[in-house]
Amino acid sequence: MADDGSSTSSTPSPTAAEDAALQDALAAAHTAIWGYGVVGAALPAGARKPVVTAEQAHRDVRDQLATLLTSRQVDPVPAEAAYALPFPVLSPIDAAALAVTLEEGTATAWTWVLDQATERSTRELGVAALTAAEQRAVGWRPSAGRAPVTSAFPGLANS
Amino acid sequence: MSDPLSASPVAGMLSRPFTRRTLFAAALAGTALAMVGCTGSDADVSDAVTPAQVDQLAAQVQVQEELVAAYDRAFAASPELALAAAVLADQAREQLDRLRAAAPGNTAAAASTTGPSATAPVVDAAGARAYLRAQVAAAADAHAAACPDFTGGRAAMLGSISAGLRGQDGQLA
Repeated sequence: MADDGSSTSSTPSPTAAEDAALQDALAAAHTAIWGYGVVGAALPAGARKPVVTAEQAHRDVRDQLATLLTSRQVDPVPAEAAYALPFPVLSPIDAAALAVTLEEGTATAWTWVLDQATERSTRELGVAALTAAEQRAVGWRPSAGRAPVTSAFPGLANS
Repeated sequence: MSDPLSASPVAGMLSRPFTRRTLFAAALAGTALAMVGCTGSDADVSDAVTPAQVDQLAAQVQVQEELVAAYDRAFAASPELALAAAVLADQAREQLDRLRAAAPGNTAAAASTTGPSATAPVVDAAGARAYLRAQVAAAADAHAAACPDFTGGRAAMLGSISAGLRGQDGQLA
């Protein structure tokens, strides 16, 4: 099986670009799952419920994407063993900022899927996943001190 | 009537998604995620719109116009809400601007003649927030339903706008 979203045949798969974007979304899910472990560790125990919920949501998406890609004879990208943090996560504010980073990265991945998708069902999946990521981001931005709390164009450059 | 993606403001506005290796590296560098051109010539073809899609995109412009009008109506009824949700209204207007710009042939002229519904409901201060929230949710539903009917940058734009409005809905709750 190919591991880069391409088909094993010499003729490009009609969903090759879509599969590559889905691989990016899967990589984003792996990253978010790992990252939420860091987020949770930096929060007091009583504040971890949204972390558990978000992490499970990313796990569900990860499993859904892996199943979809496998059904297309594409090897799902694996998780990395670890990732480098963008900044030290030493406080609840840092934790919320990391969660925002994770969700905004996820949103970007899914808007790319929407751009690249050839299958209607993939676009339906994409808009649902993008929406869920933005809703979680809206939940984290106040704790991260981010304003505005909402985004006009989640996953897209605002320019 | 159809516009290729390369001629649309939608072109080039997408950021590449992070990858497992680049997410944190990009953030560490203090930069936004790396920008790339949206898509190549293949996507230009895929982003061409049919006459039915032209009509549907015009309908989404109308949906957003109704939402912007709903913000104005709710704010007129409740100055307190106007203060609290001014940013949300600004975002709704930004979304409308981008929808109009992305519509093949640019529907701005047509939109200005049709505009929001003439039969506007009466909104009072007590019900302004609930009214507005319902309008935001309805617009999000409409854009989410339309998104899969498009491809390329227009699908991404409609999905993004719908997601943004879902976030607004949560804020208004």
